[in-house]
Amino acid sequence: MLALDLLLQGIVQGAIYALIALGLTLIYGLLRILHVAHAALFTLGGYIGVIVTNETGSLPLALIVAMVSVGLLGIVIYRLAYKPLLDQSPLVALIASIGLFIAFEEVFRLVFGSYGLSFENPPLRTQVNLGGGLLISHSKLLVIGMAIVILSILAWLSTRTRTGIAWKATVTDSQIASSFGINIERVRYLNFFIGSALAAAAGVMVALLTNLVEPTMGAVASYKALAIIVLGGLGSVRGTLVASIAIGIVESFGTVYVGHILDRDALAFAFLVIALMIRPQGLFKAG
Amino acid sequence: MLSVKNIQCGYGDIVAVHDLSFDAAAGEVFALIGANGAGKTTTIMALAGHLPPNQGSITVDGCDISAGPARERLQYGIALVPEGRRVFPDLSVEDNLTVGGHTLERARLATNRDNVYQIFPRLAERRSQLAGSLSGGEQQMLAIARAMMADPKILLVDELSLGLMPKMVDECYQVVDTLKKQGLLIVLVEQSTQRALDVADQVAVLESGHLAWQGSGDEARTDSSVVSAYLGT
Repeated sequence: MLALDLLLQGIVQGAIYALIALGLTLIYGLLRILHVAHAALFTLGGYIGVIVTNETGSLPLALIVAMVSVGLLGIVIYRLAYKPLLDQSPLVALIASIGLFIAFEEVFRLVFGSYGLSFENPPLRTQVNLGGGLLISHSKLLVIGMAIVILSILAWLSTRTRTGIAWKATVTDSQIASSFGINIERVRYLNFFIGSALAAAAGVMVALLTNLVEPTMGAVASYKALAIIVLGGLGSVRGTLVASIAIGIVESFGTVYVGHILDRDALAFAFLVIALMIRPQGLFKAG
Repeated sequence: MLSVKNIQCGYGDIVAVHDLSFDAAAGEVFALIGANGAGKTTTIMALAGHLPPNQGSITVDGCDISAGPARERLQYGIALVPEGRRVFPDLSVEDNLTVGGHTLERARLATNRDNVYQIFPRLAERRSQLAGSLSGGEQQMLAIARAMMADPKILLVDELSLGLMPKMVDECYQVVDTLKKQGLLIVLVEQSTQRALDVADQVAVLESGHLAWQGSGDEARTDSSVVSAYLGT
């Protein structure tokens, strides 16, 4: 029973990692930029989720507001911070990204206070019985459900629509894609919008699970998402999804069985190191 | 139809092509030959809009397109079959063609896809297979088919035979011949000089970025010493 419980916990955590890391992988695939500030958008999503829920009492509305506004902010970040640096070495954009991340954390501290925010009436705290005494909270069910819905929509978009197919082509080879009339700039906007909106959704989910958002909650998410996309084989969407779930499950079991030696975050990286020793190119090498 | 006047292009301070001019008409194969690094691919990339020339002009049917971006080249009927084929390996054959027809409306997309499948029945058989899993020759056919999707008037083909088995090279050249008879202008870059000469209506030999010799295909074929002198073959 404990094993099933841990597995479920791992999947919930993995689903959140997947939502964060997917945007990072998409942006890396398209622009070869390691978008560290992505984790700040995750934090901002959490704040917006809590604030809008507290003001209006509606969690779905809060989720939509968080995803749309953070998605738009992602476009602004691309336009103002990354686009002028695209001709430079990728390290320049990386440094800009780290600077942005730190700046965002400080802005959160100034605007929202350094102690964090919580829901006034935490939604979905009730538990459901999945049978055989296996309990899961409604909020965790929502996290899994949301992840499945969002990923299915993305999968449908990228394989069944012309925009999605053009998007995948552009991620693989922008130069050739532009030869066929695809507007690369528009694809980049779409990429930043979707990636950032997913991070915001993850932020709202984490706020639901922990009932706390604080200025630095993006820090762990930031380096763990980097570890996940490396493990997944930089730029590979499928690899990122598998790596997210794998790290979620390793953490959840590891915390119980070897938690007295290694803490949760150390475990994730130990797993990364071992996995990369076996498959240095990542789980799925991008084409 | 295609008119190139005194173009100079390069990367940064390095000039890769000096003062190149030529005219080519519909229904022709214009072969650009030369050794490695002679500036053939640079010329193709300039025609495709990926490398705007520093000087000179490129006009299609009287429209100056020199400075226009690659994305607008298809509006002037120019399509690219790039060096190394560069099909989208993670997309299916069918989706590669969908990208090729990105500028088309939905109904035309389907019609053109059927037309392309008729020219390349082998691609029709493999339509749901990932492009990355095709053989080199099949990928070359897909690259040509992808470029044909938007009904181009001018096809830029960079290194048609590179890395292909002789049998596949024959098939690819047969396709070039068919397209030429349909009235397309084909600008063909080749390192395999003999194959290019066999189909060429016009030949230009590039040497270190300069035009070293230019003439009709017949001249080049009858007086092969002209070409071999420049290519050292």
